[in-house]
Amino acid sequence: MSSDFYNTSILPFAGIIIKLCRAYTNSQEDFEDYYQEVCLQIWRSKENFRGDSEWSTWVYRISLNVCLTLLKKKKNNNQHFVSDSLPAEEIEETENNHAFSDEPLNLLYDAIRKLSEIDRAVIMLYLEEKSYQKIADIIGTNANNIGVRVNRIKVKLKKALDG
Amino acid sequence: MDKSIENIWKEGFLKSDALIAPKLNNLYTRKSIHIIDKFKRMFKINLIAIVAFSFIFLIVSFLVGIPIMGIIFFVTLTVLVIINKRLLNGLERLDKGVNCYEYLKAFNQWIKMQVSVNRRMSTFLYPIIFVSMILGFWFKDAKGLPLGERLVHKILLSFPDIYLIFGIPLIGFVIVVFILVLLAFFGGRIYQWDLNLIYGRVFKKLEELMADIESLNN
Repeated sequence: MSSDFYNTSILPFAGIIIKLCRAYTNSQEDFEDYYQEVCLQIWRSKENFRGDSEWSTWVYRISLNVCLTLLKKKKNNNQHFVSDSLPAEEIEETENNHAFSDEPLNLLYDAIRKLSEIDRAVIMLYLEEKSYQKIADIIGTNANNIGVRVNRIKVKLKKALDG
Repeated sequence: MDKSIENIWKEGFLKSDALIAPKLNNLYTRKSIHIIDKFKRMFKINLIAIVAFSFIFLIVSFLVGIPIMGIIFFVTLTVLVIINKRLLNGLERLDKGVNCYEYLKAFNQWIKMQVSVNRRMSTFLYPIIFVSMILGFWFKDAKGLPLGERLVHKILLSFPDIYLIFGIPLIGFVIVVFILVLLAFFGGRIYQWDLNLIYGRVFKKLEELMADIESLNN
């Protein structure tokens, strides 16, 4: 991967890649693996980008697909890997080197990690201020569904943060 | 919690440590180790499978009355396993202290050497296996006579003027020699096909990884 490609085509979107990868991992080591794999896959798939959508949508889509694939692989390899139903105390055990310095953000991430895989993707894109239509394009559904889903997720997160 | 999740999100990521991208090179080191470890595992399993098969076949060959075939099979495959085990020991000696590209290159060279040794052996291996099959069935007991001799007697009854060489019909001899030459000629290719069938995906990944790293270095 040339550094030019990384600087011009990936780095501007590194923020969302980092945020997504963090939502699907529970340790710094996994996070780094996921981030690097996403970058590699974006670079490898660049020839397939036909310009039907924006480059950013393409990047989000690849990032999400890679995260979901790696998560599935990891789940298959290790039954104890964090899943939607993993107890909170188990998440905390693995998170010591994976935390932000901002405590409310850590709590929010903990709550996000307890969501289902797709809900995680939806809320991450919503928090990145993507329109419902764009989220729908990335996830592969329609905008109405996304609106309803975002509201449900927000209620869940609020409950988790307050509780 | 008073703040909305939108505000927690925005404010949290204003801090400088929140969005630090990891370095990219580590991935290749992990991937190379993973690929090479996978190959080693597959290679070991393959050798164990050959040993197990040759043992089982040796026993079965005695039970069904073709011990010559079983013994030749066993000896040939044992030699094959010993040589490949020695090659595998060479793989274990590769210097893991070098960077991942150098490690992959060393592994690639080892693969080439391993393939070349096995290709040469295949020139003999497949003909030997074929000969073992012929001898095995030739000397199989068939009502007090070796099966081969019984077959020759039957042929002689139908074609009494057939030309024999060492007690074998010339035509049969020619066919066997022709098949042996073919097997010796195509042995290397059969091995290559077999190799790609088992390790093809690993080799492809290895090539992709090396191309990625070369591209990264450029």
